[in-house]
Amino acid sequence: MLEVNKLSKHFGALHVTRDVSMSVAKGERRVILGPNGAGKTTLFNQLVGEYAPDSGSIKINNEDVTTWSVAKRANFGLSRSYQQNTLFDGLTVAENLGLAASVKANKSTTLWRDSLTSPDVRALVKETAAQVDLTPHLNARVSDVAYGIRRQLEVGIALATQPRVLLMDEPTSGVGPEMIGAFHQLLKRLPEDLTIVIIEHDMGLAFDVADSMTVLNYGEVVFEGSPDEAGQSKLLQEIYLGTFEDA
Amino acid sequence: MFYQTPLRKVIMLAYLLICSYVAMTADYFGVEILTELLILAIIALALDLVAGFGGMVSLCHGALSGLGAYVFATLCTKLGLGAGESILITCVVTGMISWLIGLICSKSHGIYFIMATLAFGQMAYSFVFESSYLGGDNGMAGIPRLDLTPISIDLFDSTHFALFSLFCLAVSYWFISKVLSSGLGRSMVGIMYSEKRSRALGQPVTRIKANIFGLSGIILGLAGALSAQHFMFISPSLLSWTHSGEVLVVVILGGLGTLIGPIIGATAFVVLKHEISNYTDHWHLIVGIILILVVMGGAKGIYGMLESYIEQRKTKAAGPERVLSEE
Repeated sequence: MLEVNKLSKHFGALHVTRDVSMSVAKGERRVILGPNGAGKTTLFNQLVGEYAPDSGSIKINNEDVTTWSVAKRANFGLSRSYQQNTLFDGLTVAENLGLAASVKANKSTTLWRDSLTSPDVRALVKETAAQVDLTPHLNARVSDVAYGIRRQLEVGIALATQPRVLLMDEPTSGVGPEMIGAFHQLLKRLPEDLTIVIIEHDMGLAFDVADSMTVLNYGEVVFEGSPDEAGQSKLLQEIYLGTFEDA
Repeated sequence: MFYQTPLRKVIMLAYLLICSYVAMTADYFGVEILTELLILAIIALALDLVAGFGGMVSLCHGALSGLGAYVFATLCTKLGLGAGESILITCVVTGMISWLIGLICSKSHGIYFIMATLAFGQMAYSFVFESSYLGGDNGMAGIPRLDLTPISIDLFDSTHFALFSLFCLAVSYWFISKVLSSGLGRSMVGIMYSEKRSRALGQPVTRIKANIFGLSGIILGLAGALSAQHFMFISPSLLSWTHSGEVLVVVILGGLGTLIGPIIGATAFVVLKHEISNYTDHWHLIVGIILILVVMGGAKGIYGMLESYIEQRKTKAAGPERVLSEE
């Protein structure tokens, strides 16, 4: 479903991703791990088209999308959630989901017809809200809801476009243990055929939802394998915990 | 997000009734002032569409309406077309020019967007000012008015013309509220809040911005054609950047992003201008102080303040128990 081949990006002398390759199958849950500054978010930014890679290629469903715009990739079925909430703050939760759903329903540029009141958009909003537990908050203004709800909405907006590939950048960033549990359930509820790539720092969640893991360090892939293999990897322990000498 | 609330409907209906009454009862100068403010209100509506609901603060809207006036005058006086077809062509031409400006400027944001639109406005002003075909700084005279005598309306009568302008304002309000309630309008509001997210959702951000700017231009064409017919004479001052600035003041005064606010703002602005200038030439000073007070009062404008006041009254009337239960 998602094929990344030797993706490289540098800012000046700093190589943020270096020859990153990975292959994610349809319905697979891939977790990207790595310390801060490993290049995880930059990889996502290249996958969605916000950054143009210096070299390498990206294929979705065997289609080379490397030179496509952000919007074209999104319309092809690539959706993302952000590490820092990127919401339509002045609007309600329902309107936020509605704007995303109207793209899927092909009603975001129609003239004369209200996209938010169209039956297919409303149905999609209702379905997505139920999926991410936002139904009780639909009429609340985003700026008035708690941070955890906003994180749910961040994922909800990405889901409302009904993507083929969903990229989630630290969905549990900044939320408490209870909310992490809720996200855990949310991830379990998502359609099985949806391909998901998650950047996650919560190891409990990461190991539980992952079918496979990719570890980045200094922009390079240093590990790729199953959660069991990752758990036994000395390299991974060194990256996260440091070596005895470091201590 | 724009919704046609009962308050907006009531105020718009009341406004139309009051203006109709004024048009039919006021003396000649009163009716002329009414027409002036109605045309300004149409331009302000067009600006509110892009600035209040799209975050595109344009400093060329005055110039675009002036350009509309010149297109209308050229079609009527130079090419000999009838006023009716000239109005339609003017709307289309101004809409197309606006769409192109929107397309080019949509790549920039904030202060750069303002400067880019100002530059386009100044280019239009210079072009008209230096064009001998368009009369240069002498302007163009002998512009006809639309002939509606077959339906017993004589637009050479100031009352009839004011009522016709009021009709155009109502049509403009209906048109813009329809646009804002459409998928395109909803997406525009989304882009205003987060362009990055809208793009990530797959929305054609540049096209949406250009289309909204173009639709705003259609309304500016109508305002320009009305303006040319009102004075039956036009000059390059219509395209001056101060005119665009004045429209922006009107929108902020009435309430940015409220749609009904700019109409109230235009009314307040023109009435204040004429009333204060009876006593002093420094009417700009008074209007400036009022604008500062409005901005310091939360930048909601006159309509925004009215809306907040009504909301507060409602909350108070509901009582503390209901408020707590809602929370």
